Amino acid sequence: MTNTGMFFRMLFSAVFRRRSRAMMAVVASLVGAATLFCLAMICIAVPQQMNEEMRAYGANLIVTPTSSTTSGDKAGIDSAMVEHTTEMVAAKGSEKHATYRYENVRVNAAPYVMAGVDAKQVKNLNHHWVIDGSWPSDGKVLIGRDIADAIGLKVGSRITIGYRASDNASTSTANGSGNTTSSAPSVGSSRGGNAGGVSRRESDDSRSNEAAEGSAVAGQAGSANAETGGASEGSASTADGTTDTQQSQSSSGQPTQDGRVSSDIMDTSGTEFRVAGIVDTGGSEDSIIYATNADVNKLTGVTRGVDVIEYSAGASDLNALVTSINDMTSMHVKAQQVTKITASDTRIITMLQTLFWIVSLVVLVLTLVGVGTTISSIVSQRRNEIGLRKALGASSSAIGVEFYVESAMYGLIGGLLGTAIGYGLAQWLCVAVFERSIGFNWGLGVASVLLAAIVAVVASIPPVHRATRIDPAVVLREE
Amino acid sequence: MDMLLELDHISKIYGELHAVDDLNLTVPQGEWLAIVGSSGSGKTTLMNMIGCMDTPSKGSVKLEGRKLEDLNAGQLADVRKNMIGLVFQKFYLVPHLTAVENVMVAQYYHSVVDEKQALEALDRVGLKDRAHHLPSQLSGGEQQRVCIARALINDPKLILADEPTGNLDEKNEKIVLDLFRQLHEQGTTIIVVTHDALVASCAEREIMLNHGVLVGEKWNDENARKAYEAAGGRPASTGAQVEGAQTGETAIGFADPTKAAKTGGEEVTE
Repeated sequence: MTNTGMFFRMLFSAVFRRRSRAMMAVVASLVGAATLFCLAMICIAVPQQMNEEMRAYGANLIVTPTSSTTSGDKAGIDSAMVEHTTEMVAAKGSEKHATYRYENVRVNAAPYVMAGVDAKQVKNLNHHWVIDGSWPSDGKVLIGRDIADAIGLKVGSRITIGYRASDNASTSTANGSGNTTSSAPSVGSSRGGNAGGVSRRESDDSRSNEAAEGSAVAGQAGSANAETGGASEGSASTADGTTDTQQSQSSSGQPTQDGRVSSDIMDTSGTEFRVAGIVDTGGSEDSIIYATNADVNKLTGVTRGVDVIEYSAGASDLNALVTSINDMTSMHVKAQQVTKITASDTRIITMLQTLFWIVSLVVLVLTLVGVGTTISSIVSQRRNEIGLRKALGASSSAIGVEFYVESAMYGLIGGLLGTAIGYGLAQWLCVAVFERSIGFNWGLGVASVLLAAIVAVVASIPPVHRATRIDPAVVLREE
Repeated sequence: MDMLLELDHISKIYGELHAVDDLNLTVPQGEWLAIVGSSGSGKTTLMNMIGCMDTPSKGSVKLEGRKLEDLNAGQLADVRKNMIGLVFQKFYLVPHLTAVENVMVAQYYHSVVDEKQALEALDRVGLKDRAHHLPSQLSGGEQQRVCIARALINDPKLILADEPTGNLDEKNEKIVLDLFRQLHEQGTTIIVVTHDALVASCAEREIMLNHGVLVGEKWNDENARKAYEAAGGRPASTGAQVEGAQTGETAIGFADPTKAAKTGGEEVTE
């Protein structure tokens, strides 16, 4: 047998023939590694999970057409551009999106905003929407709670929706833009405007400039713009709005009757839909009628691009994403953050992460103390053996190497078992709390095992050092 | 005759206490010396200084002419593993290593591990069939024999045994003393620390300590004494000016270690 062979024979004898002591050291390392690995996995998994959960509470990024695209026509963002923009967002992280095409329509001659949507997209993006009934499908619409209450509709009721091209005339853009700027908040608060929740959210966030801009862009794009919608709705109360609308109608060459501008205020004709469901969000969505894109195309007789794309983007740096989209002027779209959502997301996730890391740090210190004390006590119990080895001619460094390697073995065995148990715990916690499993983080796993070994070795340094520097005679005299 | 060990006015002082007080002693190659005295007389302290496990506060220890006080810790460890075999009263076997592995540990720190040689050493002490037993599976006598096999494995020039039979019954005591006798016949120098008169009487020469002071010396083998003196060996002595101390060139004899320690020695008649 070589000396190396003897070294390992002594090592394995120390580990496997002193099972109870070895078990203590391994268990100490195991508990430490399991706790730390579990916490570290949760530290990583929880913010990710929370981020995804937060994403379900609406969009954090909206994309609207730029004015250059929309000033001349009402093309909106075509499907190719929607796809391209979505690719850009997806490249930076997970994403969910929904598109909205807004049109001004009339129900019983009263003006309302109708949104053409893909029900699946909207459902996927807005988990917080409370739906009584079902999502829109062909021939069936989803109406806001405010509309349902105003008109007295229930799920299954019939609703006749009329479309007037004049309500959506784009020539009102110039006036409308000005109007929007000042009236955006009222539009937002009363109806949400045709930029959907966008102007509302930003207005809420006191970012009136951006809000106004966003509304204006949306308004221009859809031409059913907020100002028109708001003005129309406000026609009962807002003289300016009505005037604007009428002026724009007359200037666009509307037919006249008896020398006066034709008023179709009593015209209740339109297409009949069934109410599939009623949406209740407590926000602007309660004042909008949602239909499928196909129904909106059929109702308006025009197939065009969308006015707004709402994204729930998982990108870590949303500002950079916004900038990168806005820098691509050739795309003719403009991206904006929904600051309220992103700021609260970031704040909650940062708070959670900080909390978990602080807890982890405390546990790490406790683990160090626990493992350290156990290993230290085990080594201290072998002072006589250390003294004997010195008496037999062993150098302090040779004894140090033997004991450190032994401690490292305890740490490695404990670390491996502890990491496995820690992963199991983290997995169980995630399944119990978030109802999803988490993948094993190999980097963290290796770090956990190594840390357990290092802690065990570091913990054995003081007692081994103390025992080896004392004269063997002194150690052997004790007992 | 070469002197293997020379102690020149060595003292070990702890504060006010003189554990060993100004001792002069020479031990020739091949001698079997017993250091006797009651508990606390400084026997073990003296043994530790001879065994390079402790250093004297004053004086000089020479092993084969090398002054130990000139050596650093590493060199002392080298002297220990190359020249000295240690036998302890409490055996100090590594509890998780088998008998043969305990013997091999001494080889491991000395030079190269050789299991066959370790088994032969165990065979020499009559424990070949117990070679793969753990210390907990061995009796006290067997453990002491493993300890002796471990002390012998590197062919040391000097065997230092501290109360080697202190924890053994008569039967095992006899086995151990027989082993020492064999080693002595093979020319190994043996220094045994004991308070047992029987064990001491097996040695060629005995010196007696009392509270760290040399108080007596006697020879159990007259031929050995003559050979020692012929080679220029001188009786042990102490510079301590204490009543009953053996300070001069004349050895003070003693009959029974315990009795002598209490009453003082008797003049040896030439």
